[in-house]
Formats: sequence, structure tokens, C-alpha cells
Amino acid sequence: MRNKLSGSTLPEWQRSRSIQIQVDGKAIEAFEGETVAAALLASGIHTFRLSRKYQEPRGLYCGMGICYECLVTVNGTHAVQACLTPVAEGMQVETCREWEL
Amino acid sequence: MSETYELAVIGAGPAGMEAAIAASEAGVKTVIIDGLFREGGQYYRKPATAFTASRKEVVEKEGDLLSERLAGAPAAKIFNALTWGIFKEEESEGWLVGLYGPEAPKWVHTRTLILANGAYDTPVAFPGWTLPGVITSGAALILVKSQGVAPGQRALVTGSGPLLLSTAAHLIDAGVDVVGVCETTRLFPKGIVYAPIMLGQPRRMEEAMQYLSLLLRNQVPYRTGWSILEVHGHEHVEEALIARVDSKGVPLPGSLRTERVDTVVCGFGLTPNTGLARMMGCRMGYQPEKGGWVPLRDPMLQTSLPGVYMAGDGAGICGAENALLEGRLVGTAIALLTGHLSNQEAGKIIKRIGPELARQRRFGRVLGELFSPKPGWTSLAREETPLCRCEEVSLAEVKAAVANGARTLGEVKMVTRAGMGNCQGRMCERSVVGAIMQACLTEGASPDSVGMYSIRPPLHPLPMDFLAEAGLSNPPFKGS
Repeated sequence: MRNKLSGSTLPEWQRSRSIQIQVDGKAIEAFEGETVAAALLASGIHTFRLSRKYQEPRGLYCGMGICYECLVTVNGTHAVQACLTPVAEGMQVETCREWEL
Repeated sequence: MSETYELAVIGAGPAGMEAAIAASEAGVKTVIIDGLFREGGQYYRKPATAFTASRKEVVEKEGDLLSERLAGAPAAKIFNALTWGIFKEEESEGWLVGLYGPEAPKWVHTRTLILANGAYDTPVAFPGWTLPGVITSGAALILVKSQGVAPGQRALVTGSGPLLLSTAAHLIDAGVDVVGVCETTRLFPKGIVYAPIMLGQPRRMEEAMQYLSLLLRNQVPYRTGWSILEVHGHEHVEEALIARVDSKGVPLPGSLRTERVDTVVCGFGLTPNTGLARMMGCRMGYQPEKGGWVPLRDPMLQTSLPGVYMAGDGAGICGAENALLEGRLVGTAIALLTGHLSNQEAGKIIKRIGPELARQRRFGRVLGELFSPKPGWTSLAREETPLCRCEEVSLAEVKAAVANGARTLGEVKMVTRAGMGNCQGRMCERSVVGAIMQACLTEGASPDSVGMYSIRPPLHPLPMDFLAEAGLSNPPFKGS
């Protein structure tokens, strides 16, 4: 299990290739096959965006593409669902970017 | 640009997979479409293809078998494609399915449709529910089972239903310190009435017992008749307040407890994902024990629209076993309808499915009644709590709209913008209905009088340039 929790009794995962993605200009480690949301959470990033009206922090909620809370900017494209989008080498992810819909 | 089929199955979970297998193997020209990268849905959700885990659970093995059968079936498969709209074709009696995905055709023409859209965690609004760190059961299970990522270090699991046990057990397995499970339903004495039917499901009972014993071994309290009250934190969850609740789910004074956690996992049962059915105009009925608004279907699972069928949890919560059976039934029904199976051939298959389907439905009804949504869930929100997460509409704003004369969901939506955001009201519908009903109790407001949000295409937000191009290449709106 990532996040390296000591008590995990789950089988060891054979992860695929380790890659790097850029999140707000900083490199973080991710693994091929992971979603952007999983990679962010595993790196301790929980706030994905700010709400439009009150600028409150929002992050992963439903995890399955229903709630649209986990929207981030990926390679310049706004409003991408982090929970459904797989990571790719060199991907540029921006959190909390303001955009107009 | 576009492809033509006799049958399009939307959703590749248990129901959709079985339906596509049954229909295509009978000779129906079938396509199965899903928004995820591969088949399985949420129930059989697999680890990302690039990963291999060294141990497999029974459910995963079942899912692998089903995947193999689908791979071997002569159905076309389109994954990673969102179905954003389905339109009636004027000339051909068929339907036009609009898709958005990197490798998907923009349009699929089909004579018949099976909607197998599954379900999502019923959203319940409480103070602090929008803070990062508050996630659903589904999100927690996907992170642990399919991504191998623990959502946090210390978690509280709250809500109602058997999924809570599975969620807590998977979190414990992942090394998360689970401080407790709050089951809002008081299982005793109500549960005893249902015990005989539960015992008729040995496999499920065994699974539940395994989870319970894992909780016990790890000294995780399973509190029945307890609920989350509110969550505090600045940027992230820092603590959760829980309390004892009465049989309606209303918090009892004097029982407050504070838990220091960084994660709150909410599993308040499931809501059928009926967006496409509503958009198309299938007639719906309100059945709380099935998860709320569900399509009205005939015994062969056809909706009020001829040629449009629905199967699995997306047509009413009844579990994966039921979904598999409904999928087989509905795939057979389409094969009969399109002339690929004779009455006699189809009858034989349907007769075989019947008794087991009846048994699963009895069991589903029991679970649905036992863990049905409690009125108290809608009273957890405070005046300033956002009910609509997308448009940030608070309970106070909904109440003000009602005070100004709004009586239906549609009216409240027009006045407040609740339900107008990206999720098209999936997150707030239940809370807003609850708030309206509570605000006009004396007038005898009911789910029928308050109504549903109307769902319009596109079902998912799409880039404007894509929509413009898709529309020009094959305009579905002609004459409408």
C-alpha cells in the first residue's frame, strides 16, 4: 500500500514503472496505471481545487466520476476529473487554478 | 464517425457485462460502452492493468471469469467513453448515442438499448462534508482495491448498510487506523425480523462475519445507532463529532463523542444512477427501499420506452447477484425482441433465471427496508451547510426559496441554482428534496409532489468545440 502505513496486511503490490509528474511545478512520484487523484493523495496533496463562490478547499469525494469535486488542470486543460484520469510521464498537473466555465 | 448496432449496452458492470454476453452470443449485433478504461464497473473494479496484486479475493476471481467471458463474446467494446446523451432517431425508430472519448466514435446508432448504469454512494450533507478528507465508501474502496493507495492515516467510517463493514475491513487491511464504524440503523430489534432471510444467503453472511471478526480483532468499535454529526478542520479533516441517534436517525442529546481523524468515510447506502433514463424520458417511480427514484419496468425489464431496457443497481438497488441475473434476463429479452432467439429458446433461459432472481429480490428488499434512508439524515445539515456542492447553495437558501413559494425541485433550482452545476444534481437532489419536504411538512409534501431534477444533455460537462463538431457531423437535434 502506498502512503507506507506500517500495519498494512495487504499483499505487496507489484507496481508498474515509476514515473514523474509535475504538480504545481514540483515533481512527484507516480506509477503507471495510477489515477491523478491516487498519485496526489499518495503524495499528501488533498486539496485539488477551490470552490468557485467561497474559495473553499475541495478534494476527492465520490472517487468514481460522479461528483466533479476533484477537478484539476492537466497539461493546460481545465476541469479534468482527477479520479478518472490516468497519470502519464511528464504530465503537468495544476491544483486550485481558477477558470471560467 | 458513427457505427450501427442492434443493441447498445451502456455500462460494463455486472449487469451490462452479462447482458452483452447473453445478447451477443445469441447473435445480436451488440456494443457495450463504459466510461472506465476496462470492464467490471465498481463492483468488479480491477487493479490498474499495469499492477498485479499477489492475492485475489473471491469477488476478484468472479470478476476475472466474467471478463474472460465478455472478451470471448462477439460484442464490440468501447471503453473510456462517456455517454453524454441519447436521442430518438426520427426516421429509423432507433436511438442515437452520443459518446465522448479519445478512441470512441462520436455517435452510435442502435435499435435497442440496455441501460446498466449502476449506482453511487447516497450523498448526505452534514457540517464539514465538503472538506478534503471526507470521502465516500466507493472512493475509499477504489483507492485501496484498485489503486493500492490508503486515503489517510486515521479514519472514521459512518453511514448505513453492509458496505460499511466491507469498507472498514479494507481500510484496516490497508493499514489505516479505523477508530470506529458508526451504523445509523439500530439493528436490534428490527434486524431480528429479517434474520431468517439473511441466513438464506450463506455466502454473504460469511463475508459479513469475516469483516466483523477483522473489526473485532483490531478492536474497532462497531456502533449501531450512531451517526456522524459534523466534521471540523481548516484545510482538511481534523476531527469528527459522532452521536447516538434514535430510530429515525435524529441525534440524541448527551451522547456526543469527538474522534481525532484525518479521514471520514461516508457510506449512506446507494442511489441508482438514473440520469440517462430520466434524460430520455423513461417513466419513474419513487421507491425508497430501492434507493429513491427508479424506472418503471415490465417483467422483462423494459422501461416505458419501447426497446429501452434497464438492469442492475441502476434500475433499483438490489446488489451484484441480482444485477448479474437481470443482465442475463435482459440480454435474452433483446435477443427475443430482435428475432435471434425463438419464444421457446428464450423461455427456457428465462425460466432458469426466475427462481434465483426472485430469491435475490427478496433479499434485496430486506436489506433495502432495513437500511433505508432515515429522515434524520436530512436534518444533519445546519443553515449554512452547502447542500449543493457545485453551486454552493446552503440549506438556508433552499429554505428561503420555499418560504418565497417554491414547492418543487425545479422551482428551487430556478431560484437558487441548486442542481445546476457539473454533477447535474446527483449530489444534492436528496438533500434538497428533504429540505423542501421538511419546510412544508404541514402541506403534506411528498417525493412525488416535490419531483426530480430534469436532466438534460450533455450529461457530463464537455468542451464546446467537441460539442460543436459532434453536432455538425450528425445533428441529433434536427426537428426538435
